[in-house]
Amino acid sequence: MAPASTIKKLTDDGVTADEKAIGIWRDSFDRLLKNKMAVLSIAVVVILFFFAIFGPYLTPYDFLKQDLSIRGQPPSADHWLGTDNLGRDVLSRVIYGARTATLVSLLVVVLSSLIGVVVGSISGYFGGKVDFFLMWFTDLNMAFPNLVLGVVLAVSLRPPLSRWMEQMYLSTLNPVFRQSSLLDLALVIVVIVLVAWCPYARLLRSQVMAVRNYNYVLAARALGLPTFTIVTKYIIPNAIGPVIVQMSAGMGSAMLTESALSFLGIGIQPPIPSWGNMINEGLRQWTSAPHLLMAPALVLGLMTVAFSFLGDGLNDALNPRQWKG
Amino acid sequence: MGEILLDVKDLKTRFRSRGSLVHAVNGVSFHVNRGETLGVVGESGCGKSVTMLSLLRLLPPAAQVESGRALFEGQDLLKMNFGQIQKVRGGKIGLIFQDPMTSFNPVLTIGDQVGESLIYHRRASKEVALKRTVELLRLVGIPDPEQRIKDYPHQFSGGMRQRAMIAMALACEPGLIIADEPTTALDVTIQAQIVELVKDLRDRLGVAIIWITHDLSLVAGLADRIMVMYAGTIVEEATVEELFDDPRHPYTLGLLSALPAFQAEKNVRRLASIPGSPPIYANRPLLAHFSCAVLSPWNVASQNYPHYSRSPLEKMPAIARPVL
Amino acid sequence: MIRFILLRLLRWLPGVLLLLLIVYALMFYGGGDPIQIMFSREATDLFQPGNPRYEALKDKMGLNRPFLVQFGDYVWKAAQGDLGLSLADGRPVMESISAAFPITLSIALAATAIIALVGIPLGVIAALNQNHWPDNLILGGALFFWGIPTFVIAPLLMVLLCLQFPILPVPHGWTGVFTVNAIIPLTVAAIRPMAIVIRQARSAVLDVLSEDYIRTARAKGLPEWVTITKHALRPVLTPVVTQMGVVMTNLLAGSLLLEIVFGIPGIGRLIRDGILNNDYSLLLGCVLVVLTMVTLTNLLVDISYPLLDPRLKQAQRGDV
Repeated sequence: MAPASTIKKLTDDGVTADEKAIGIWRDSFDRLLKNKMAVLSIAVVVILFFFAIFGPYLTPYDFLKQDLSIRGQPPSADHWLGTDNLGRDVLSRVIYGARTATLVSLLVVVLSSLIGVVVGSISGYFGGKVDFFLMWFTDLNMAFPNLVLGVVLAVSLRPPLSRWMEQMYLSTLNPVFRQSSLLDLALVIVVIVLVAWCPYARLLRSQVMAVRNYNYVLAARALGLPTFTIVTKYIIPNAIGPVIVQMSAGMGSAMLTESALSFLGIGIQPPIPSWGNMINEGLRQWTSAPHLLMAPALVLGLMTVAFSFLGDGLNDALNPRQWKG
Repeated sequence: MGEILLDVKDLKTRFRSRGSLVHAVNGVSFHVNRGETLGVVGESGCGKSVTMLSLLRLLPPAAQVESGRALFEGQDLLKMNFGQIQKVRGGKIGLIFQDPMTSFNPVLTIGDQVGESLIYHRRASKEVALKRTVELLRLVGIPDPEQRIKDYPHQFSGGMRQRAMIAMALACEPGLIIADEPTTALDVTIQAQIVELVKDLRDRLGVAIIWITHDLSLVAGLADRIMVMYAGTIVEEATVEELFDDPRHPYTLGLLSALPAFQAEKNVRRLASIPGSPPIYANRPLLAHFSCAVLSPWNVASQNYPHYSRSPLEKMPAIARPVL
Repeated sequence: MIRFILLRLLRWLPGVLLLLLIVYALMFYGGGDPIQIMFSREATDLFQPGNPRYEALKDKMGLNRPFLVQFGDYVWKAAQGDLGLSLADGRPVMESISAAFPITLSIALAATAIIALVGIPLGVIAALNQNHWPDNLILGGALFFWGIPTFVIAPLLMVLLCLQFPILPVPHGWTGVFTVNAIIPLTVAAIRPMAIVIRQARSAVLDVLSEDYIRTARAKGLPEWVTITKHALRPVLTPVVTQMGVVMTNLLAGSLLLEIVFGIPGIGRLIRDGILNNDYSLLLGCVLVVLTMVTLTNLLVDISYPLLDPRLKQAQRGDV
């Protein structure tokens, strides 16, 4: 046995650092694939995305087309999920609702995680008063029930936003700014982002706090690397795992909040379908035509459950409980 | 020296870790006589604590005793059913843990915890248990025990907590006390006090003690015999005098040479350390131990690392001597 | 003790005021003209800007004062129990709220009790059977119900229990906690937050079970049930109570959707009315009530800590 190889074997068991880094992601992926519910959830989410992108080209009917001769029909061969009280095809509307839900939740997750990551990094890296104030505000925001805050924001941001859109139309004459569906979308996204960024900020701050005093970060500082480089190169990569988990959970809850706001009549407005406003409409005649209620409710429930199982699976896969010996 | 109280034969314990097996204890055999003090020495992770936890079957869920036999007063601890081992724990074998801070329940009073085992082992009433607790605390030198039993663990200092822990282990007058690094978490001066206390209690109560430590000098004044463990096996076992005068295994030599007093005797100037780190145990159950050679203390200062001395050391068996 | 409570209040008060200020500002600048809202149903231009009657009314209502003065006035009056008049029907907001609040509170309290009595034991059972079927079943169920929104499960339950298998009457309105009518609403209110409590209780028990002092208890040879009930469950209470506080605040607010689905005349219904009628003073009053309840709940949780964990007794004496 050659001495050198013995030493190597004892110190790192023959695995180089690069292999280890890949190994961690592959391990996580393997663990995720072993979780049956997570795999099922991924399948459900993939189907959702598929319908969100291609759905409108696949639907048998136009989701807006009214046909008063076939109002409130129960499910049939022509209309798999029946028709609503204006004779619109419920299946087409549910499929279009997938597009609304996906668009809103994807944008919300991207924007809120960006804001959260920036705020959390600043807070964690600089500490002191900046940290105190930012975290005080985050805690406050998190202590206050999300939905109530969302309602307040949605109600009070709508008038100024529509005024702004009107002005934009007058100055550019671009008809896009006259579309009320765009206004709804923008409003819903802004509102949900404003209540959804806090968990990311908390998460990143705690990660930064943990990593900040590691020797390699101190060394980087001693070398005079700019703060920005240190944060992006050394600190954020460490936080990716938990952020991914939070993003998956955030997808589900953004979808939920969007539906809730639309359900309350302050999010996406009819006739543009959102599962939330469809449930609201269905609820008005749930005893006579329960399918109007059941179709969007079941689909929304399926989606949010899928995201919640996916988040859980990702959590197990990316942050396994430390082995205690 | 007296009859055998605890006789362990070929104990093997393994951990399951991410699909691979880690052999933490690898065929350990030893015995303890009635009233005797056995020191167990070795570096962190060499299997000292796991050995003792295996005996009382207090291992974490990931660990499992693979094979072996542990006769305590003629009965095999490893084959007992749950009720029987419950009677041994705290009743016949007392345990003292390393960290008195975390080993007490923070939301219960000291009085609630120290004499607790009496209620279940001796069917004592709460009042009797409390009275006995006061006596026990006085025995281990805690002043004003009548008042202190109402205190919570965080109101005790580290040394006081360890005294209380010793009182707890003594509650049911066990024949054997296993002390798992009881002084490691304490200041040096407090350490000495605790060692003195244990010595005193041992002489007065005649209890056998297994004292686990990584500090060879600490047990030197306390133990009758010393057992040196490395990588899950016993590499040497001897009386204190024999071990210091004539260490047989190179690892023991390494340990000894790391003692300042020992070096002063041998005129070595620099404090020695043992090169390398303990081997990784996974999937390598046997005899790969200690392949990173130990330097003899006399050439340590002059040699460059790594240095390999003598014959194939990893083949060297544990060196046991006949017990005198 | 009193000093401790005051100090805690001091910690919360600036936050509450800041949030209220933000909400007030949002409504002040974004909400629209209160006078126009008040008379929106009357198709006259009497109450348009420029009209003398409009200006007179605006002056009378103090709407010409600077923003911060108006806000200070609102807070001052609110502290004395006056939340102003509803823009929709001119009734005092306080009146509507004091009629609605007991209903929301009783739902929240009843649901909290259900959650504590069912959720915590389920969490403990799951932890004690870690990775075996009871654990998987409980955790999976919790995750499942956590995923379903209130306004999905509520109608689904109604369709199922009142339409498909008509074993319960259609719940509408509110007749009290201990009536048949309350079964479905309370189930719906409890089921989602219970999922968090179950998970929290489970992980808290698992954490405690890996503590050294549990090993100590086992090393003493105590019967396993003593180890669990005496040594493990007490320390678990602290994190679980924290979680219950969060649950309680969410229940107070989460009743929003619940009350709309079941037509229960609580705070949630008021908020909905406020949204429908652009009734900003009513909305603001409801927000203030929710804020107050959140603060009080957090205060209660804070106060309970020293009772649960003796290590925190010093903190209680005031040196926070």
